[in-house]
Amino acid sequence: MAIEDLNRIVCESLTKEYASRRQTTKVLSGINLTIEGNEMVLIKGRSGSGKTTLLHLMGGLIRPTSGKVKIGRFTVSELPNHELCTLLSDNIGFIFQNFNLMPTYSIYENIEIALAPKGYDNRETKKIIEPLLEEFGLTEKSSTLPSELSIGQQQKVAVVRTIAKKPSVIFADEPTGSVDPETADEIIQYLKKLRKENRSTIVIATHGSFPEEQADRTILLENGSVRV
Amino acid sequence: MKYIAKELRRHLYRTLGGISGYTLASFFVLIILSISGSNKSGSTGILQNTGTHLVVYIPTDKSSCKSDLVKGAVIAEGMNTLMLDIDLLYTIEKIAGVKDAAPYLRYEMYHDDYEKYISIGGIDTTSLATFTSVCAPSNIVDGRFLSRLDNEILAEEAFTKAHGLTVGDTLKIFNGRKVLTGIVNSGIKPAKADFYATIGNVRYLLQENLQCQAPGFDMNIVLVEVEDPRVQDHVIGEIRSLMHNFSVSTFMCYEPAYKVMNMINKTSSGLSLMIFIFLVLFSAKTQLTAIFERYREIGILKSLGWSDSRISMQIISISVIQATIGLVIGFILGVVVINLLNNQNLMLFDYIEFRFKYSFIPIVFLLSVTGALIASMFPIYRIFRTKAGDIFNRYM
Repeated sequence: MAIEDLNRIVCESLTKEYASRRQTTKVLSGINLTIEGNEMVLIKGRSGSGKTTLLHLMGGLIRPTSGKVKIGRFTVSELPNHELCTLLSDNIGFIFQNFNLMPTYSIYENIEIALAPKGYDNRETKKIIEPLLEEFGLTEKSSTLPSELSIGQQQKVAVVRTIAKKPSVIFADEPTGSVDPETADEIIQYLKKLRKENRSTIVIATHGSFPEEQADRTILLENGSVRV
Repeated sequence: MKYIAKELRRHLYRTLGGISGYTLASFFVLIILSISGSNKSGSTGILQNTGTHLVVYIPTDKSSCKSDLVKGAVIAEGMNTLMLDIDLLYTIEKIAGVKDAAPYLRYEMYHDDYEKYISIGGIDTTSLATFTSVCAPSNIVDGRFLSRLDNEILAEEAFTKAHGLTVGDTLKIFNGRKVLTGIVNSGIKPAKADFYATIGNVRYLLQENLQCQAPGFDMNIVLVEVEDPRVQDHVIGEIRSLMHNFSVSTFMCYEPAYKVMNMINKTSSGLSLMIFIFLVLFSAKTQLTAIFERYREIGILKSLGWSDSRISMQIISISVIQATIGLVIGFILGVVVINLLNNQNLMLFDYIEFRFKYSFIPIVFLLSVTGALIASMFPIYRIFRTKAGDIFNRYM
């Protein structure tokens, strides 16, 4: 199987509803889309259009109400927990909109925990993390807590944490939404570099902060459906 | 382990809070155990020997130890009895629940000087069953207890007062001369007599002095001491099954005693169960609070590919480490406080004895760790059931 096939994402009739006692809210409705391996795709839509939910569904962070998500040969939406863990630690990387950094862990430790499931020893972990910190200008901040960093620096840490494990599929939720243009460009360039070197598939959710011309194509999401 | 230590260190106040909770819990459990243990052993210790004495004999309508010289017979509880072989004693000793058994030879004869029937009991002077059913060295009110000399005799205090006898008197009784070496007040005992001598002396006295005719001179009564009122019915049943015409007589106060002992045991078990439930609830509360505080972080770890079992092991380890540290501190604190309360004679506690036993350590440790493990089950169940994205939606 070619690497492009391994990293291909397929959504079939994907629906997600959130039910409370009073009402059921349909967030996504019958999404059908295919993202080819090594493709960089933007999912664009207004706030509340379901972009984050779609990313979480594609990455296996939540289960769909109906429909399927496939990444390569894995049906992510039906994988048992332990297999999903392996997929998340080895193949999938998330860059969250609000960074999701561990508040009481240092920057170094925040990146280290992403590599922990892979079973690297301290020396190997250091060998991976230190060049990345240097590349993103975070070396001096490695022992500080996230709360002591600027929003832009926190965004960079979130990116470094994800790319450190060299995932074959990256889901990025507004990766440049909170940073200045220079940092945004730095992140974009690094994602493109990773795509090229690692042949990763990159799916980016944005409401408009990410430049469309950097992606292969843009999918518009409106009221939980893909606009054709 | 690296991340467990990190977690304990990073959330220092939460860790200290958890440890102090377990410290308080184990401290109070230790105090309660030390009081209930001492109360239980004190109460059951008192009741354990209540009414646990039996006298066993075979009643008959004829005298089985007749003499041509005097008018007398071997008597138990006012009834003529058969003489018994010593082998019966060995058989009874082997019955489960029998603490001790002793031979007893009790003879009554009409005495012209006293113008009444007088009785003499031949006793085994070293047997517990003798002490509890007949008389004991502690019952001496004047003089001393029996030694091995063959002319010694004890008398009941009431008898000596009635007939003006004192220690050192030489009595002409049972066709011989005996020196009164001690006066006893044996209280209400099931097999008491007016005089006591060693069983060897009484056998000799019956055979030689009174020339009684009997198939044997071993004994006419077996005195039995039971381990515990709760097994008394079983022992009585076993003795009766040996021979259908046995008469087994006992103080009936063993029945309320074993009922009270059962109540004390149940109360103690109930208290222990309540302590355990308290510990589990407390641990569950501590664990749940910690998990709710950490829920967001657990979601992050899950999204990074940490397995549910790895996160669960972390939670269990943190819980057990906190419980163990808390337990050690609580124990040290408890032992110090128990010693203080016992030694300083504080007014409030001077009627309560706090008794520390080393056997409490594994009990409280097991309770604490089991509680921590049970308490971890609910958060772990939630971790397995909840997806990372759902955690983000609910807690962020």
